[in-house]
Amino acid sequence: MPLANARAMLPALEVVAADEPADRKLLERIADWCERFTPLVALDPPHALLLDITGVAHLFGGEAAMLDQVRSSLARQGFAVRGAIAGTTAAARALARYKDGAIAPSGEEAVFIAPLPAEALNLDPITTHALRRAGLKTVGQVAPRDRAELTARFGAGMVFTLDNALGRVEQPISPRIPPPDYSVEHQFAEPIVTQDAALAVLKALAPRLAAMLEEYGDGARRLEAGFFRVDGVMRRIVIEMGKPTREPAVIERLFREKLDALADPLDPGFGYDLIRLSASRVERADPETIGFDSNANAEREISCLIDRMAARFGSRRILTFQPNDTHIPEATAVAVPAQYVKPTKAKWETIRDRGEAPRRPLRLFAQPEPVDVIAEIPEGPPLRFRWRRVLHTVVFAEGPERISMEWWRHQGPQPTRDYFRVEDGEGKRFWLYRSGIYGRETAAARWFMHGIFA
Amino acid sequence: MRAYAEIAVTTNYSFLRGASRPQEFAVAATRHGLAAIGIADRNTLAGVVRLYDGLQEVKRQTEIKPPRLLVGSRLVFVDGTPDILAYPTDRAAYSRLCRLLSGGKLRAPKGECILTLDDLLKWQEGLLLVVMPPHPGRIATEIGFPQKCWNDSLAREADGPGEIPRERFKSYLPASPDEILSVLKPLAAIAPRRVWLGVFMPYRGDDRRRLQKLGAVAHAAGVPLLATNDVLYHAPERRELQDVITCIREHVTLDEAGRLLEVNAERYLKSPSEMASLFRDIPEAIDETVRFANRITFSLDQLKYNYPDEPVPKGKSAQQHLEDLTWEGAASRYPGGLPDKVRETLEKELRLIGKMQIAPYFLTVYDIVSFAKSKDILCQGRGSAANSAVCYVLGITGVNPAEIDLLFERFVSEERREPPDIDVDFEHERREEVIQYIYERYGHHRAALTATVICYRPRSAIREVGKAFGLTEDVTAALASGVWGSWGNRLKDGEIRQGSFDPSNPLIARTAAVANELIGFPRHLSQHVGGFVLTNDRLDEIVPIGPATMADRHFIEWDKDDIAALEMMKVDVLALGMLTCVRKAFALIDNHKGERYDLANVPREDAAVYGMLCKADAIGVFQVESRAQMNMLPRLKPQKFYDLVIEVAIVRPGPIQGDMVHPYLRRRNRQEEVTFPSPSPEHGPADELEKVLGETMGVPLFQEQAMKLAIVAAKFSSEEANGLRRAMATFRNLGTIDRFREKLIGGMVARGYEREFAERCFKQIEGFGSYGFPESHAASFAHLVYISAWIKKYHPAAFACALLNSQPMGFYAPAEIVRDACDHSVEVRHVDVNHSDWDNTLERCEDGSLALRLGFRQVGGFSEAWAGRLVAARGNGYSDMDDLMRRACLPKRALIILAEADSLQSAGIDRREALWAVRRIADVDGLPLFAARSVEEQPPEEIAPLPPMPLSEHVLTDYQILRLSLRAHLMQFLRNLFRAEGVWTCDDVAKATDGEPAPCAGIVLVRQMPGDAGVIFITLSDETGIANVVVWPRLFEKFRREVMGARLLLVEGKVQRSSEGVIHLVAERIFDRSDELDRLSDDDVPSPSFRSQAANHVHSHPRNVRVVPQSRDFH
Repeated sequence: MPLANARAMLPALEVVAADEPADRKLLERIADWCERFTPLVALDPPHALLLDITGVAHLFGGEAAMLDQVRSSLARQGFAVRGAIAGTTAAARALARYKDGAIAPSGEEAVFIAPLPAEALNLDPITTHALRRAGLKTVGQVAPRDRAELTARFGAGMVFTLDNALGRVEQPISPRIPPPDYSVEHQFAEPIVTQDAALAVLKALAPRLAAMLEEYGDGARRLEAGFFRVDGVMRRIVIEMGKPTREPAVIERLFREKLDALADPLDPGFGYDLIRLSASRVERADPETIGFDSNANAEREISCLIDRMAARFGSRRILTFQPNDTHIPEATAVAVPAQYVKPTKAKWETIRDRGEAPRRPLRLFAQPEPVDVIAEIPEGPPLRFRWRRVLHTVVFAEGPERISMEWWRHQGPQPTRDYFRVEDGEGKRFWLYRSGIYGRETAAARWFMHGIFA
Repeated sequence: MRAYAEIAVTTNYSFLRGASRPQEFAVAATRHGLAAIGIADRNTLAGVVRLYDGLQEVKRQTEIKPPRLLVGSRLVFVDGTPDILAYPTDRAAYSRLCRLLSGGKLRAPKGECILTLDDLLKWQEGLLLVVMPPHPGRIATEIGFPQKCWNDSLAREADGPGEIPRERFKSYLPASPDEILSVLKPLAAIAPRRVWLGVFMPYRGDDRRRLQKLGAVAHAAGVPLLATNDVLYHAPERRELQDVITCIREHVTLDEAGRLLEVNAERYLKSPSEMASLFRDIPEAIDETVRFANRITFSLDQLKYNYPDEPVPKGKSAQQHLEDLTWEGAASRYPGGLPDKVRETLEKELRLIGKMQIAPYFLTVYDIVSFAKSKDILCQGRGSAANSAVCYVLGITGVNPAEIDLLFERFVSEERREPPDIDVDFEHERREEVIQYIYERYGHHRAALTATVICYRPRSAIREVGKAFGLTEDVTAALASGVWGSWGNRLKDGEIRQGSFDPSNPLIARTAAVANELIGFPRHLSQHVGGFVLTNDRLDEIVPIGPATMADRHFIEWDKDDIAALEMMKVDVLALGMLTCVRKAFALIDNHKGERYDLANVPREDAAVYGMLCKADAIGVFQVESRAQMNMLPRLKPQKFYDLVIEVAIVRPGPIQGDMVHPYLRRRNRQEEVTFPSPSPEHGPADELEKVLGETMGVPLFQEQAMKLAIVAAKFSSEEANGLRRAMATFRNLGTIDRFREKLIGGMVARGYEREFAERCFKQIEGFGSYGFPESHAASFAHLVYISAWIKKYHPAAFACALLNSQPMGFYAPAEIVRDACDHSVEVRHVDVNHSDWDNTLERCEDGSLALRLGFRQVGGFSEAWAGRLVAARGNGYSDMDDLMRRACLPKRALIILAEADSLQSAGIDRREALWAVRRIADVDGLPLFAARSVEEQPPEEIAPLPPMPLSEHVLTDYQILRLSLRAHLMQFLRNLFRAEGVWTCDDVAKATDGEPAPCAGIVLVRQMPGDAGVIFITLSDETGIANVVVWPRLFEKFRREVMGARLLLVEGKVQRSSEGVIHLVAERIFDRSDELDRLSDDDVPSPSFRSQAANHVHSHPRNVRVVPQSRDFH
């Protein structure tokens, strides 16, 4: 059903886009979990798993008990489960979908699946459609047909699937391959008890991890060091990098900074028997060629510096400015954690043309300060103003630069600002604005000082 | 005060750049007392006529002299040249500007224009040029055009515009004074005294310094400065809309837009005093604007009356020629002698035509119609002038003025000074021939399609505005889904609530408010379906033309209203499916019965035809087959032609909104006395409205009557009445409506009419605004109503056959047409490889009557080419599937479809056997012909018999493949089930008494929500007939899911029977029983197969509804 139709029926319908990769990931996780039953687990996407339980069922109290255990423990995790056991994959698949909980003893598959609809064979839709039109609506109606008759119409593949489902031919499952795992660890027969020793272990582990990362062309953005104590307590230390990294020296240095800065240092207690270093977030990191004439090296050093400082002081406290695309003066720059800076399309606005005085002060007041101003109505520049109890007489003025507020962010009208650059008799320069346009927005405009020119 | 003329006005015809309508500028400019207003949209003249018309309207309505209109365009270049405003001084220069723009458009993809400075230099003679320095702080935008232009061939023509090498494309960058000077200097040398430097004060802080610098540049180039405000909207309040359309244009949200938006709200149309104070440093730049305006002598008036003189023989005037043709035609139309009444009418009309100098117009239409007749293409004129006696004797229309009294002056008014309007409908399948003829006759340089301005409608507006506000697609789609009809002028709170949003939520409210402002804004120009503009001069010297989607087609930048405003010649060549159907029916009658008919010689005023219509037996009949019309027929009981005219006109928004329908019906059925509202005696004769409303029993039904009413009862001048009509149609947002409302109601009440009547009249006029339906249109349509009803009555088989062969058209799906034919005792025969053609055909039965043989066109997925091959190789018939495959050389896919359609019955092969057999055949598709022929016949196989196909599955398969079944109705198989539940048949409902509670189940045929009332009409069908269900809005809210989603509905409700015998089932509870349909395909096996493709016909036309989902892929 198209979404528009569903909405016409139920306007409040909440829509969540299908996320195939996420479904697949979840299926993989369930497959991982299923490895407790048998090492031979195969994915049957989009939402099925095939377990080869040859020779393991007795470990779980027989086939019935095993099926029950798999189903009930998955159901407890919140999944809707259907399952069946049969001697061949196609038969098991058909039974799981159309006769939940069935266990077909080997050799009796045909009996079990005969009453199922032809769809249970999981054939392509064209074949299924043709079978239905021919009145062959159940597997039992298809099964006795002449094999040559079926092959002529639907090919040998269809006949194989049919016979597989009927238990006449077998098809082994292909278990999945474990994914590459960036994790290295060191186990100790004798627990180690000092932080220095632990650091030395990390130092030794770092090149091993780096080698693994390099093999797959990845770099780590997030590293975890796990310290497993003899008494079962585990302490996890996490560091994050602004750029994907796999240099052992850098990794080791960052952990050192972090451990030094910890408010509650590692407490080895009775000692660690396992230290594990793993990359929990990785990104592609292709080796880069750096020319002599670029300042990429300098940038790299800055980013290393940022990582080191962030490891010591916390990434939220190392900030940098980013340009923000807006007309509102106080919003043109935002401070963001330096480690998380993403390149933006916004560019810094030039506030100074060649040969001219700057149009705006370099720094603005955190809060614009109210000023008493004498100015010509409606939009003349200030003639005299009193700011912080001092009276200034304006000698030169330029403006107005009229800036309207971002109306969509506010409720109700926001007064427009008219900015003026002014110079007083002593040569001091100020940037102040009138809030509200006479006549159009207000009858009595107010004035504010927003910054002074150095 | 210094006089000032604003030269740089960008309207909303610079799509998504200007934020005000031309009409709004017209009002604002007049209020400010500008000396002149210059419209300069981006590479276009699309908005100039709107502004021209707007200024005239202001003059008509306010009697204040509006500013002079300067027509120009803002030329935007692709080669890095800053924008230049170009204003033609005279007609010749205007032609050059049109050529310049046409050239740019023809070399660009549709809707774009590619210009370089060289183009301007080529056509600059007589143009006043204003170089506009880029706005400071403006961000350079990339110029990107899709590589492929749609009209490469045209762009490469010898005298064509030529292509611009892509390497010459340059981004538009803020230009330095030096760069501006480098443009100004050579331009000033080529166009001496015709170049200016435009300056504006953008409030950027350094305005005065910037002005000084530009002053120096202008001085160095020896050109004067010209003050402008580079206007984007008419008032500062439009900034919000301006920001939003910028976001829509740049595909960003407001939050992301940043400096793409204007920094302030200053680019509005300013008054002379504001401009004078801004430019106090250089007042001469203000004075220069008036000098600039005075240099321009061109006005759009100079384009008027550019009629082609083709159809007139040399030595004769157009009027003479028309008169000659008229009397000739009259003689042949009335072979028994011309009645005096008609002679008088003709003379009167010819006098008026002569006085208005519109003879060429009639001649052109006559010429086109004559061509169509020579090719046996059915056609019929309609429109304001079409129902004149002249048009009848010229053969343009078939409505005989001797039979019906249609006053010509009512349609062509002298004061209106508008050209007459004649639209001609042609058979939809053959209209293309007529179009080709027009191009041949007038040449591509003098004939082109008019434009249609595609505007924002509630749905598109809310979607786009919502996007700009950063609402997700889900939210905007849900908001938009609350909007049922896509037309309308405002998004109502109720519609927002239907999308289950709170209209008082600030974000939603703001989005809706901006969207409401955007509704009606033009989005782009598209070609009109058949509106042709014909001129005597080169068309591209009158208006810029651009490429249309079809190769070698062009369309101009103006729409039909613009053409009308300029009194240019426009002929609408429209397609009408019913004409195709009528022609096909006439041909079938001729072939099988030897009786020849055309639109004029069908026997008139046949009582049996009216009898049939009175019973609402109207499936397939033109115009009156909709649900609402079918309800009206038994109430109105048409007895004569004029009743049909009323029938066509009465079920329209005008009469419905004006609450005129019921009073009319009551009077007609003599339940109410026919009275004419009258003024108090001191104000005029009591019978003053009798003349206006006499024909319609004192109730105004037609647009003309409503206008006339304003004149007679409220003492509008005809100018004012016309203004009222226009105010409804085009000036909705200018607040002029309230003034008219006041004047109309006030005027009528003051003269002693009842306020309630006056208010209803006004409401009705409002209703006409969007769907004006004049009597003349109704009369032309009524003619086709009668003819199609006559064919249905006397030749039902031919009628059904022609209807099916003209699909898609009309209101009903083929299943209903076939069923209706069966109900009229037509035998319908199944598709068959040995009997059917591509089209449906008629076969003679043994008793001499005609039977309808379904054709392959009814078979889903089958192609006309396959049918052609099959018929050509048929010979004495096909004996089996192999025979069919070998001789007709059809691909396997086609054979499967034929088998699915059960079309081998005459060869004695059952559907199921045929399908099983065909699966075994090797596919010949892709093999060379001879190889295919030599495909070896497979050895016969001995197979076990397949289970026989139950009837229910046959029917279901029929529905899947043919969308109809001749075997049985689907409901028949469910009858026992439903009967056990106590559910009635449709026939039971039809026989029930008023107020009886009735549960009824049926297949959903039609589901409609007409108008804004929120009432839903559903038509259910079962084996006994149909039932009409009414769902009131509150119930709909509760059963929305069932109403919108179900294919098979069970409705519990009460029968409502009107005195005329119209029966409704008023729903009280509704159940979706579509699942029952899925059972039909099963013997008794649970099957999940159909559920996955539930009803997908929620918003589709009833005739496209599939009761049963299409069967899945065949191959």
